[in-house]
This record gives sequence, C-alpha cells and structure tokens, in this order.
Amino acid sequence: MSTNLRSDLRHAARIGRAEYRRSLRRYTRDVRRLLGLAIAVLFFGGYTLVSLPSVLFLGRSARSLASIPYVGPAATAVPVGLLALAAFRTVERLGAPDEPDLLLTAVHPRAVVIGLIGAEIARLATWFGLPLVALSIAFALGLGALTVPLAAALVIAPVACWAAVWGYALGLAVLWLLRRLPSVRRLARAGGVLALVVLVVGSQFAARYAVEADLPVRSLLSALTVGPLVDYAALAFLGTPLERPASIGAVAVPVAALALTPVGLAAATRGAEVLWFADDVPRSDDSGATSSGGFDAPRPFAWRKSGRIAWGLLVRGVRDPTSFGHLIVYPFFVAPLGTTILSSSRDALGPLLAGAAAGFGVYLSGATFGLNPLGDDRRQLPLLLLTATSERTLVRGRLFAGLAVGGPIAALAPLATIPLGTTPLAAVALSAAGVGLCVAAGFLAPGLGAAYPIYEPREFWGGEAVVPSTLVTLVYVFFSVGGSSLGLLAVWYVVTSHLAVGADVAVALAVYVVLTAGVSYGAYRYAVRRYRRYSLE
Amino acid sequence: MPSTNADHPTNAAPAIEAVDLRKTYGSTVALDGLSLSIPRGTVYGFLGPNGAGKTTTMRLLTGLARPTAGGVRVAGVDAGDRRAVAPLVGYLPETPPLYEEFSAREQLEYVADLRDVPRELARERIERYLDRFDLAGDADRRIAGYSKGMKQKTAFVGTVLHEPDVLFLDEPTSGLDPRAARTIRESITEFAEGGTTVFLSTHILPVVEAVADEVGVLFEGRLVAEGSPGALRTRAETGEGTTLEDAFLAVTSDPQGDVDR
Repeated sequence: MSTNLRSDLRHAARIGRAEYRRSLRRYTRDVRRLLGLAIAVLFFGGYTLVSLPSVLFLGRSARSLASIPYVGPAATAVPVGLLALAAFRTVERLGAPDEPDLLLTAVHPRAVVIGLIGAEIARLATWFGLPLVALSIAFALGLGALTVPLAAALVIAPVACWAAVWGYALGLAVLWLLRRLPSVRRLARAGGVLALVVLVVGSQFAARYAVEADLPVRSLLSALTVGPLVDYAALAFLGTPLERPASIGAVAVPVAALALTPVGLAAATRGAEVLWFADDVPRSDDSGATSSGGFDAPRPFAWRKSGRIAWGLLVRGVRDPTSFGHLIVYPFFVAPLGTTILSSSRDALGPLLAGAAAGFGVYLSGATFGLNPLGDDRRQLPLLLLTATSERTLVRGRLFAGLAVGGPIAALAPLATIPLGTTPLAAVALSAAGVGLCVAAGFLAPGLGAAYPIYEPREFWGGEAVVPSTLVTLVYVFFSVGGSSLGLLAVWYVVTSHLAVGADVAVALAVYVVLTAGVSYGAYRYAVRRYRRYSLE
Repeated sequence: MPSTNADHPTNAAPAIEAVDLRKTYGSTVALDGLSLSIPRGTVYGFLGPNGAGKTTTMRLLTGLARPTAGGVRVAGVDAGDRRAVAPLVGYLPETPPLYEEFSAREQLEYVADLRDVPRELARERIERYLDRFDLAGDADRRIAGYSKGMKQKTAFVGTVLHEPDVLFLDEPTSGLDPRAARTIRESITEFAEGGTTVFLSTHILPVVEAVADEVGVLFEGRLVAEGSPGALRTRAETGEGTTLEDAFLAVTSDPQGDVDR
C-alpha cells in the first residue's frame, strides 16, 4: 500500500468518525429530535417485531432458494437499489463536505470522499442495521443455520463497496451537470418533486392494475432477474439446506465488484475534485436575476397590510421553490389511501375527486406558508418585531398567502368535476365547505408551526432550505386530512340525501364545526402570542 | 514554526508567487492579471473594497479554486498539487470553519489529527493556545454555544496548529473584542518573526498598519498599489497627516492602470 493511500485512509477514517459523531449529536441535540427519534424507533421497531414471526416461518418453510418468493428479483434489486440510494444521497446531501475550506486545505480530496462515504454507511447501519440483523437472525433461526447473518454480511460487503463508490461518482456527475446547466437544475428541482409524486401515486395504480388485470408479474420479474447475482446471493446459504452449487457467475460478481471499487473511487475522487475546486464561489441560480418596479402588490393583496405581506411571501416562495420541499409529505400519506378509495368508487368518481381536490386545497392552505412561521421569518424577525406592524398582521399575512394557494383549488376544483358526475349542488357544497376548511387550516397551521419552530437550514436537493419540523408536518397532515375528510364526507352525505339531518346529526355537525373553528382559532391566537413574546436568543 | 532547512528546495523560493492570475465566472472578470511575489517571513496586508476579488484571490492562492489563467506557487510548490501544498498552508476563511457539534478541544484535536500533528505535540499546543486566547475555561463546551469572537479565536487556533509556512487570514480580527484582536495581532507578528509568511486580508486598516510589512491594494480584480504602508501613504500624496485609510481611499477611487510601486 502506498504512503499516500495509507495516509488518505487514515484521514478518511478520522473524517468518517467525526462526521458520524456529529450526526449522532444532531439526532440527539434536543427534546424534539429525541421525540422524533422515539417515534421512529417505535414505528420501525414495531414493524420489525411484527415481521419477525413471518420471517421465522419463512425460514422454517423454505426448502430451496427458489421456493422463497421473489428471491431472484430481490437479489438483482439489492445492488441496483444500493447504487441508486448512494447516488440519491450524494445529490441530496453528500455532494460536498461541511466546512470544505478546512478539509480541503488539510487533506487530499480522496480522503474526504472515503470519509463521507464511510460516515454515510455508518449512519445507514445505525438506522437500518438492527432491524436487518434481527430479521436475518429470525430467518436463520427458522432455517436452523445461524451462519446465515454473518455469511450474508460477507456476501453483501463487496457489492455495497461497489455501489457506494459508483453511486457517489454518479451523484457527483449529476451535481456537476446541474451546476453547469442552471436551467436544468431549476427544472430538476420542480421536476424531481413532481416525478416523486408521480412515482408514489403511479406505483399505487400500477400495483392495483397488475393485480386486477392478472398480469404475468412473475414472468416479468424473472425477465428482470440477473442470474449471476442470484447465484452470488446464494453463497450466503452455503452449508444450509438452501445451498446450491456455486457457479462461475457467483464468483465473478464479487471479483468484478472488488475490481471496480478502486476504479469507482478514482472516478468519485476525480468528480469531487472537479466539483469542489472548479467553481469556487457557490452562486445561487438567480444571483444575476433582477427585479423592476419595486414592491407593488396587485389587488386584492394590496388592500390590506396583511395582504401585502402575503404577496411578499408568495413572491419569495416562487423565487425560492426549495422552501416548499416539506409539501412532499402529502402524497406519501394520501396516495395509498386515495387509490384505495378511488378503486372502490364505482359511480362516485366525480364526487370523490371533488372531495379530494377540496381536501388538497385545505392541506395547501395551511402547509404552504404556515408550518414554520418563526423559522421562515428568523432573519427578518429583528426587523419585523421592531416595526409598527402588529404580530397579528404578520400571522394573517401567512394565512392569506396560504389561502391564495389552497383556496382557489378548494373552490374551483370541485366545480370542475361536474362533467365527471358530481351534481352541481354537491360541487357547490363541497366547494363552499372546502373554502371554509381552508380558512380553518390557515388558522391552524401557524399555531402548530409556532409550537416548534425550526431555524436551521438543511440540505435539500443540493440546496439549503429552512423547512418545518417533520413532526409538525405529520401532525398537521393528520389533522387537516383527517378533519377535512370528515367534514367533506358529511357535506357530501347531506347534500346527496344519504344522511337525514335529524337532531343527532345536527348536533354532531355542530360539534364538528365548533371544534374545528375553536381549535384553529386557538392555534392562531397561540401563533400571535409566540410572535409577541418572541425574543432573540 | 515553519521549516527553515536551507537545503530544502522550496526554501529558496518566495513564500507566495502568483503570475498573471486571472479568474472569470462566465463573462464576469473576478481577477485580472494579478501577479505577486511575497518573500518569506513577510506580513502582507491585502486590501480592497468589497467585491474587489480578495476572497477569490485567497482561494486561488490556497489551491481551493483553479485559476482561469496564470499560476500560483506556495513556498515553491504548485498550489494545484494539493497533497504537497496542504502541509505548507493554513487558511482562515471569513466564516470560521467550525463544526458546531464539537467542543473547541474536539475541533482542535480533529484538525490536528487531519494535519498529522503528533498527538502529544498537538495536545501541548492546543492547551497553550486555548490558554493564550482565553478559551481554556470553555474548551469542553460545544461550539454551538460560543460567541462570534470565541468561534473566531477557535478557528484561528485551528489554522495555526500545524505551524504552516504560509498563513492566509481573511478578516481574522472581525468580531473580536480589543483584547482578543490584540492577541491575534501579536500572534501574527510572532509567526512572522518565526519565518511564517502571513497573507492578511482585512478591512480593519489599523491592523494592517500595525503588523504589515507590505501592502497590496486590489480594486476591481487588479492590483492597483503595492508597497510598504509608509510608502503607500507617501505615494497617495493626499496631504499631511495622511493615514493608510486616506491612501486606500485615494487608490481605490482613482485607480491607475499599472501597479504603483
């Protein structure tokens, strides 16, 4: 081993340890993060625990490798998935080190590359290592061969190394391309989010279509299976009942992976040098952009000060779309639910779409500008709080900005579904209810956001943005989607005469309205109070 | 202190040598034909108005950016040869490069490790500097809780821990209280006396007057004046009682085409 390589590996180990330690400290920095961590552990831990008996049974019932469902596609998908994950994480987060001036004047870029990759592997192992180990031990216990977890780790190691370095090189290439082509970068930010939404929603429809249309899924997947990868994966079961004769392909895979790893590392290092040293001044996409005409809000925003504040928020949002990154949470939660409802809708497609659109408008009304008001205003707070503008006006500005985004969707989209079978009465009723719920969501969101503001920017698609707390976003999704679904369903049942409005129904609706209005108004008052009592730390 | 071995091939060369350095970003010219030759042990005050290209120059001189044209050698080593140039330079950017999740001691031990300073020597230096910069009492607190001045001092210590041949300091006294600023000024002088070359970019002209042997003034990407602070004051010819500030304002408001030496 050359002196340079030895030196780089030593530095890389130090960088990897430091980066990993910093991550751990970030995860556990305050109560909010610990709470989020506890919820994640409960969620994934519970899911793992529930899965263990099934995996144990799978191991017990497995007679041959081929008898395990989808083992071939899985063996093919693992390296491809690891490569894609590495490339995605590089684009999203790892494309440049923190404090590059310090690291790049102290050590060689190769050491930084290896260090960053090593830290990321350690982070992934921390998040997913324990559940994976637990599942593999359960499978091994079922199979009666306790060597499987260790053998599986040895088998996956060369492929993981290959995927890590080539994924990093691929991610850097994408970042380089995005830097060279700023217009593509802007498009990728919007398009990437849109593609993710299409992927999530599309996958739901595709899965359902595959089942209902009785597609030959197995033959499709077997066509996508790479034989040598399956043979190689089978090496993890040597000496077990699932053992099968080794093939040349099984040996070629690790040899190729190990041989290509240094090549990938060289490519990644070269890519890092090009990216980190070629253009030293990080310039935002719109650094050369200009504006003319001053701050002149159009009507109706111009009528009141809160409207002009709302217009300012909208203009800034359009110019920096990364601040809307948190909205991506919505399709992940709604798509599975939405497609199930949609597939069972039969002749009620129109009303369902009307309700869904109104619900989406409700979500946007609060989520777009309301979930991190203090964090969004963090830099301007010394200015804002020392002006004659009241805190109430500041919060209302966010409310109006959100309504300007979500309100038209809630108001107009239900009417657009009339050709799909929604009766005019139902469309108008859902539209009116949607607008009302938009106002409620607009009041609710700043209160939730002010309860736990996030002030630090975080990496998002190669840029940095201050986005709301995930916990706050999830709580908001729960209340806005759940609450608006209840309200809109009730409205639809009432106007279609599926629900007779007796005393009990009237009381239930009244309770719903009072609760919705009361909680939302309380949240709004809380947000105003947080602004009023805010003090700079 | 830096290597003083006369047999070393790099010791005969100037500490910093830039030849016809040019940097462009698209159609914007950030630096236009900058040439420098700074002898060892010099404190070189690098002045210029905001946006003149000072930070770009420092990044080119440290090898953190590639010039569009021209070349840079630091202590005789091509700045593009990162492996060779890394031990020779220390760079303190305007924003202190610190990890807020670490304490000052952890940060400095980490930097020392990356700089290959032997552990015992690193600990001895860290303790000495922490004490000197009044950071010893807070050395185990996380940097996230530090004041701006404490962060600046910690970063400065991290920059000099490996006792480089050439120190590049971008506004090192910015945000510091008078005592800490004086400590840094004194440190700069001591480093220079020990043979270290200090390339000092700052807007605080009294600091430059106090420590700089040579001054260069950059304006719109070009070196418009260079010389000792006294010579610069004289050549500015702005009348009696001329200060470096007067000279600076004179040369950056009516720049000459060529370097005024």
